[in-house]
Amino acid sequence: MDNEKIKLRLEHISQSYIVNDQIFDAAVDVSMEVRDSEFLVILGPGRCGKTILLNMIAGLEKPADGKIRLDGEDIQGSDERIGMVFQKRALMPWKTVMENVEFGLKIKRMAKAERRKIARKYIDLVGLQGFEKSYPDELSGGMKQRVSIARAYANNPEILLMDEPFGALDAQTRYAMEEEVQRIWQTEKRTVIFVTNNIEEAIYLADKIVLLTSCPAHVKAVYDVDLPRPRNTIDPKFLQIRKKISENTDLAL
Amino acid sequence: MKKEKLFLSEYEHKELFRKRIYRFLPVLSILLLLCLWLLASSNPMSRFPSPAGVWERYLKILEKPIKDLGLLGHIWASLKRVFIALAFAWTLGISFGILIGWNKKANAIFGPIFTAFRAVPPLAWVPLVTMWFGIGEFPKVLIVFVGALMPVVVNTQAGISNVQREYLDIGTIFHANGRQMLFEIAIPSALDAIFAGIRNSTSAGWMVVLAAEMLGGKSGVGFLIVRGMDSGDYELCLLSMICIGVVGYLLAIVIQLLERIICPWTTKKSN
Repeated sequence: MDNEKIKLRLEHISQSYIVNDQIFDAAVDVSMEVRDSEFLVILGPGRCGKTILLNMIAGLEKPADGKIRLDGEDIQGSDERIGMVFQKRALMPWKTVMENVEFGLKIKRMAKAERRKIARKYIDLVGLQGFEKSYPDELSGGMKQRVSIARAYANNPEILLMDEPFGALDAQTRYAMEEEVQRIWQTEKRTVIFVTNNIEEAIYLADKIVLLTSCPAHVKAVYDVDLPRPRNTIDPKFLQIRKKISENTDLAL
Repeated sequence: MKKEKLFLSEYEHKELFRKRIYRFLPVLSILLLLCLWLLASSNPMSRFPSPAGVWERYLKILEKPIKDLGLLGHIWASLKRVFIALAFAWTLGISFGILIGWNKKANAIFGPIFTAFRAVPPLAWVPLVTMWFGIGEFPKVLIVFVGALMPVVVNTQAGISNVQREYLDIGTIFHANGRQMLFEIAIPSALDAIFAGIRNSTSAGWMVVLAAEMLGGKSGVGFLIVRGMDSGDYELCLLSMICIGVVGYLLAIVIQLLERIICPWTTKKSN
């Protein structure tokens, strides 16, 4: 028996949409378990299923079928214990870096001095000290994503969802950000569910990888990755896992 | 990072040069226009007022006010009407725009009526307004108000109802309630659209006030134009037209400054 506690459990989740009078299945019977403080990566080809799964966990949409349990309880709609980092970052251009990061705390009506203090801590953690008063449009893509990560952490979620956060970044920035996310995760242990379509990124970051099929998405295989961190992407063991997953991955159309 | 800075400094050089050109271009166009004007008025058959004539008319009005008001007095009389009307148009227009942009029911109730009202030009209200309120100060302000209200409402409503989904998603994730969604997300995201409305309403208000004054009044720049027309004083007409243009330009600059103060992020884009 595993002595680590199950934090989040998806049970037989299905989701479909009606497109041009036809039913389009996005996800079919997806079940998975996420342990406390685990870094779980959902890896899948193509465009369907992954983001939808995260949106359902975040409460942005309701599954057509199935249950989501957090600490054993059903959750419905958005939950304060779950935070999210969006692919498109979704920073508010009218707010400064500081105001964006403290947004969740302001919504909770936390006093200004207190929320500033917390926001500053996470701005420092993502390495953006000195940019507190900048507006998002003055920052580079990687910096914007750092703000987005700081904003999610500042609200102190138990589970952090990351939806292809580095998809829009250039390769160099992407590697740097992968290291950053790992470093932050190691300093601020939280459960992370990270979605990507990049196998290397998945193996670099994950404790566990859930491989999804192409449309409709369902779980194809689950891999535990127990290589020591920080990982070396050209380590033979790394490449071996990479080959194994790669051979099992559906081609994205 | 270093590379970027090096590139920027070179870019800044070019930018500086370009800025100098851009400062020079408007001067050039004004000079050209003056030349054209001279050319047009130099033909004695054209009866087009000459720049010198307009200048003399300007000096004359300084000495001899029309209806106890100098040129600036008339400009101020028009501006005062616009400012009062704008204050009401902005307050009511933004509130109403937010209401029909945010609340689907309100939009269903008021939207169609408003769209129909919008089609009526502000000056079409003149006969009814004159019948009800005569020709004093209030009816003029009222007509300007009608003209300035529409652009504010339309733009505000568009801005609020087009708030991007991803911003609202952020609100949902952080458990924002309806009020917070509106005041923290929807309204700030619509500010640039609201400002577009404010800009349009200012220029609309300035145009409508002149038309309203031409239809009956004893002060204002619009009145000066009618006075010039009635007495064959075309220098006065042209002088008034120039004043209208200059004041309109200054109003646009003031609004731009206001936008920079209220929405600093729109001017701080890196590209």
